[in-house]
Amino acid sequence: MSDKQFMRETLVEGAHAFKAGKMDRRTFLTLCGATGFVSATVLAGDAEAAADHVVMWNWGGQSEECHGSAIGEAFTAATGKGLKFDTSGPLEGKIKEMVNSGNVTADVADADLFNAVSLGPTGHLEAIDYSIVSKDKTLPGYALEHGVSIILYGYAFVYDTEAYGDNPPTSWADFFDTEKFAGQRSLYKWANGSLEAALLADGVAADALYPLDMDRALNKIKSIKDNSLYWGSGSEAHSMAVNGEASMVMIWQNRGRNIENDTDGRYKLVNNQAIAMPGAYIVPKGNPAGRDAVMKFIATAQEVDAQLKLLDCLGMTPSNPAAFGSIPEDQQPYAITSAMNIDKIVYNDPEWWGKNGGDAVNAFLEAIS
Amino acid sequence: MSETTQGALQIKNLRKMFGTFCAVDDISLDIQKGEFLTLLGPSGSGKTTLLMMIAGFLDISAGDIALDGTSISNTPPEKRNFGMVFQGYALFPHMSVRDNIGYALSVRKTPKADINKRVDEMLDLVQLQDFADRKPGQLSGGQQQRVALARALCFAPPVLLLDEPLGALDKKLRVEVQEQLKDIHKRVGTTFIYVTHDQEEALSMSDRVVIMRDGAVEQVGTPKELYERPQSEFAASFLGKSNFLRTSDGTHALRPEKIDLAPTGTGKTTPRMSGTIRSVTYFGSMQRIMVDTQAAGELEVDIDSWRNPEPFVEGQAVDLMWEDHAVVRLERTES
Amino acid sequence: MNILWLSVSDPEPGLGNYANLFESEALPRIIWTTVRICIITTLLSVSLGYCLAYAMVHAYRKEQNMMLTFLLVSFWISILVRTFSWLMLLGRKGLVNEWLDAIGIISEPIAFMRNELGVLIGMVHYMVPYAVLPLLVNMQTLDQRVMSASRNLGATGAQTFFRIYLPMTKPGIVASVLLVFILSLGFYVTPAVLGGGKVLMVAEYISVQLLITLKWGIAAMLAALMLFGVLVMLWVMNRFMKLSTVFGGATS
Repeated sequence: MSDKQFMRETLVEGAHAFKAGKMDRRTFLTLCGATGFVSATVLAGDAEAAADHVVMWNWGGQSEECHGSAIGEAFTAATGKGLKFDTSGPLEGKIKEMVNSGNVTADVADADLFNAVSLGPTGHLEAIDYSIVSKDKTLPGYALEHGVSIILYGYAFVYDTEAYGDNPPTSWADFFDTEKFAGQRSLYKWANGSLEAALLADGVAADALYPLDMDRALNKIKSIKDNSLYWGSGSEAHSMAVNGEASMVMIWQNRGRNIENDTDGRYKLVNNQAIAMPGAYIVPKGNPAGRDAVMKFIATAQEVDAQLKLLDCLGMTPSNPAAFGSIPEDQQPYAITSAMNIDKIVYNDPEWWGKNGGDAVNAFLEAIS
Repeated sequence: MSETTQGALQIKNLRKMFGTFCAVDDISLDIQKGEFLTLLGPSGSGKTTLLMMIAGFLDISAGDIALDGTSISNTPPEKRNFGMVFQGYALFPHMSVRDNIGYALSVRKTPKADINKRVDEMLDLVQLQDFADRKPGQLSGGQQQRVALARALCFAPPVLLLDEPLGALDKKLRVEVQEQLKDIHKRVGTTFIYVTHDQEEALSMSDRVVIMRDGAVEQVGTPKELYERPQSEFAASFLGKSNFLRTSDGTHALRPEKIDLAPTGTGKTTPRMSGTIRSVTYFGSMQRIMVDTQAAGELEVDIDSWRNPEPFVEGQAVDLMWEDHAVVRLERTES
Repeated sequence: MNILWLSVSDPEPGLGNYANLFESEALPRIIWTTVRICIITTLLSVSLGYCLAYAMVHAYRKEQNMMLTFLLVSFWISILVRTFSWLMLLGRKGLVNEWLDAIGIISEPIAFMRNELGVLIGMVHYMVPYAVLPLLVNMQTLDQRVMSASRNLGATGAQTFFRIYLPMTKPGIVASVLLVFILSLGFYVTPAVLGGGKVLMVAEYISVQLLITLKWGIAAMLAALMLFGVLVMLWVMNRFMKLSTVFGGATS
């Protein structure tokens, strides 16, 4: 099976999931992580970048529609430029390859903030122009030289209420305690979040997580290895919960909401100690529409209106503090920066991940396989 | 030098149906031990079907086959112990000539030394001593044919079945192999049942020939009987060539070489008919002359070339003469 | 060749990436897992494929066409659908476990999936159609008279099969083994899902190095190693038999 075909299936599945509010773009990232080699045609994408529009590089599906309505419309109204999409998925390797090849066809990539740390210093990204983009319209520490966080997503977990009854797990320590809470666990396969959760469970304070103590984290992970499964994509995590393969599943909080719905509440989401991951916009070096246009686009995405629309449409939590107070009531339990969650969450450090992520992922994979 | 004491086959009222099609229709034959019997017929006459039933590859629909008085109708092919030379030889491509020939003994768990000894004998018989270690693909068609023969005879079967074994060889080689085959038949004394559609092969090699037609036996006899006394137009024309004279008491066969020809009025005997030469075709040793006659239409006359230094020419008026015994009255006439 | 260059130049010139093979504890394990799974998958797929192809060749024309249709249709079913179908069937709460539990044979679900067994089941299922095709082509070109000749010479059905049929289908078997093994080496979707994350194979590892961890040198080194391994395998097979006969050459 060709990678392209696999990606297409992934995207079709994703479109359905988005519609039901089940899946965020992170799902695609992980699925794509499993798709392997990338052909030149995929790297090049179909989108034609030109000065009269900005090309967003993302994972397609529902996110195309949501970005269009949440950001594209306002951006066009303000600048007269359109918004087009390249839906081939901006994995780090692909961005590097695109810039190396000299044929840059995308203006802004919907990626992770740690990508900005790993690809920025190697000259693969444009610096963010903070005369146009605002450092105040995101969380402190999430406006970096080569990328700025637009949304947040979080690693939380769901548990089987029938398995644990009156004494449910409430923390990562409970998640890793297989004696008190028997049953299979399922963790995220690409290390992100899993390492933090392990350290939190092992007693490391939330503000002393970084730099991650890899040995300690991996030992904790290995201590429950016999009772653990590992998921690589949101749909996999989803099916592990819905099919009862695991009693506790680490999950993105918006997908967790979906699991609650699909199991009629049998599985319940725990947002305590959710690890907030900054999703970011980054700009490939030498983007076709020019710096000015793409910076204006990023600035548009920081606006409260755009942030709330992304939450409504994709289940992505706003990262602009000005939007926190406006999160609608029904979204509050699932938005990690809402008033009811914001004090319980732990923040990911993109600097550490940008510099050490590759080694961390490999070490994690080697530990679990 | 007979290698086996068995080999008499009795075929009784044998029938083979494919659906509603009758491929072999009520055939009975008594085949003598050590006989060279040829099944001759055009394609579709049922000769190969009959052979496959004898070999056991096809079930019989009715009737019985017996070897030396014991029915083998329900014996599977591997238990019948009949040798067979297949059309196209069907040699084992991945085995050496030696292993091909020794296969039948090897599957019978014969000791290795005995196999080698016997295979050497067979290699001598078919004169392939120098090719023992070759693979079939490295042999010529004639050599492959001999390997197939040696393989089929190696375990001294009472009966050897041959399915158009010379079909793939060119004409010159075929005549040579015919001689070898006859020679081998004499030496091993095995009953040979030989299927062919080539009348010359049938005539030159066989003790007896079965002419088959539409799944039934048309006539059985020695080559000489069949040639000299055909019982039907089909037998007469399939085995050699024949003119047919139709008179009030039936149809008569008259072989072309039994007619003599002379320019009108010069014949030494009383002319039977007269006619005009329509065409002359020269074949070296003989010439084929087509004569238009008033009495019997066009007749074919074969004249030995040495007999008339004065060549016949087209349009020439001629007398036709023959001996009384040259004309054979057919027992069966076509409807 | 670009791959070879990358494998000795990224992140820095030298054989550092290759040294990883010996220094790292994990890489040899991943490679061994891959080779082991690929070999077992190949053995099972080709054996099953052989039976299927044999059945197809010896079926009546109508059934043969039907079986061929099923076989070809299976190529069109998406790998994800197949993979998740196995979970439905053999998962912890899959049909089989539920049924076994219901009739009281087991009290704890049998772990068919999310482990190496699951990977094998999924991969064999995926590879069997690929295994069948070269065998089918090979078997269809065999002269049935050769098998008849063997029977006629006194060989039983079993003797005919092992001494004649099997050796004559060797080119098909070799082609099938090569095809399945090489495809298996590059396979990662099924291992990733059905292995529950615990069965890490080289192909998936390479893709991670390329796309996520950006260790292109390691990826190139592993890809070069796989390429080299496949070439060595072809060479070894070539020693045993002329590969030209496998890939459509004449048998003589």
